[in-house]
Amino acid sequence: MFIQYKFLLIMRGIWFVAQVALFGLVVNRMVQEAATEVGISYFQYYVAGVTIITLYSTAMFIGYDIFEEAEHGVFEYLLTLPVSRRELVLGRSIGGGLRSFIYVGPLLVVVLLILGVSNPLYLLVALAAMFLFAFGVSGMSITLAVAMKSGDKYDILIGVLDALIVRLSTTMYPTVYMERALPAYATIANFNPLTYAADLFRWGTGVEGTLQFSPLTGVLGLFIFFFAFTFIGVVFYERRLEGGSWQ
Amino acid sequence: MKAILRVVEYDFTNFFRYRWFIVGLITMNLADLFISAIVFTQMTNIVNYFRFFAPGLAVVGLFASAFMIGREINMEVRREIHHYLLSLPMTRTQLAIGRVLAGGLRGMLYMTPLLMTNFIVLRFPNPSQLLLILLTLLLLAIGISGVSISIAVSTTSFEKFVTARGVVYYMFFFCSSVFYPLSIIQVLATRGLGPLVTFAQINPLTNGSDLIRSFLLDSPEYAFSPVMILDVAIFSLIFASLAIFAYSRILQRH
Repeated sequence: MFIQYKFLLIMRGIWFVAQVALFGLVVNRMVQEAATEVGISYFQYYVAGVTIITLYSTAMFIGYDIFEEAEHGVFEYLLTLPVSRRELVLGRSIGGGLRSFIYVGPLLVVVLLILGVSNPLYLLVALAAMFLFAFGVSGMSITLAVAMKSGDKYDILIGVLDALIVRLSTTMYPTVYMERALPAYATIANFNPLTYAADLFRWGTGVEGTLQFSPLTGVLGLFIFFFAFTFIGVVFYERRLEGGSWQ
Repeated sequence: MKAILRVVEYDFTNFFRYRWFIVGLITMNLADLFISAIVFTQMTNIVNYFRFFAPGLAVVGLFASAFMIGREINMEVRREIHHYLLSLPMTRTQLAIGRVLAGGLRGMLYMTPLLMTNFIVLRFPNPSQLLLILLTLLLLAIGISGVSISIAVSTTSFEKFVTARGVVYYMFFFCSSVFYPLSIIQVLATRGLGPLVTFAQINPLTNGSDLIRSFLLDSPEYAFSPVMILDVAIFSLIFASLAIFAYSRILQRH
């Protein structure tokens, strides 16, 4: 189904390039001193961060699919299939995560060429963590979509969530500067799944030598995120799927 | 004229129906100012980033809210509500002009509190400066509304509209002086990205935000030039005309 969205995939690719080649390069110039202070290249730091943002936004896209299906009556067809509701939502959650990974795959190759790989084993751990992250985001998207049952409300919520979850994470800037700006920002960022995914990816590629948390803590954090949203998604999907009232 | 005003009234009524969307937009704007801008202020000593970004934020808010009209028109096309609008006793051109104007005016309404925040945290402009700021921003809002409507009537599904909206947002935002000074963007020219630097220079968002900065920041780096208003006026004229043409012609094919 995802492959049908050729237009979307091309546009998302352009979006990624705009993030890296415009924002990344220009801000790199603006914050050069600060990046040297904490021993990183901001451009590399941001490229790794924007990969996670792309993975997040692509995995969130499954929610729009659900509304499209409800609008065109595909939902009724899905409900007639010889699979349980649980299997249906689990399949969708994993499918949503996998397809976002397939989409990010080519971008990931480019990113790895830019960043390089210092330790293949670390990279494998980071990729596994990113899989968990993508499945978790996909589950979260399904949960929100089914809970809202309104395409408009979902779009708004995704915008607000995106604004807060991305900005209060280490995808764009290191925790040390968030701490200096307002300690509460850094505290929230420490519990944000985007922080875990972005920092593990940087650790896996060698952009950051040391993490503020152990890799095991990061993987565990993402596992809890995945587990929570996949199973909340199952419960919501089972309870709210039928009865119409989709807007 | 009366017919156009009726369409504007219709769109304003709709605007307040989407109050949660407005709340969402305000949250995003405030997150940009009070999270990202504050963190970046800690990271750069080239500019006081918080003061630099505040005028950019008003333009970002204006852009996002003026773009909302496209979202509604795309929904109307998908749900075939436009058949009702086309049956109203007015010409297609009047309907199209009304919608482009309404999009722009709604953008102005949404942007007002953000602009007031600028006046409070930076300084209050004198009456002639205020007039120039409002005129430029109104032209900018009408142009953005035109871009949004042109995309809305050219995309057949919500995904395509959302994706195209995202790409347009990021191209206009990142390739402008909304987030960073134009002098820093010029470094891209040394990396073979000269056309992007040119785009950033003529980008109406650059001219809109730099015009506000020229009046509110008291910095020689941001001097007012009438070219800023001319640039925004040309953008507005092109995209408002395109939207009026696209809305009144393409809509009949659906």
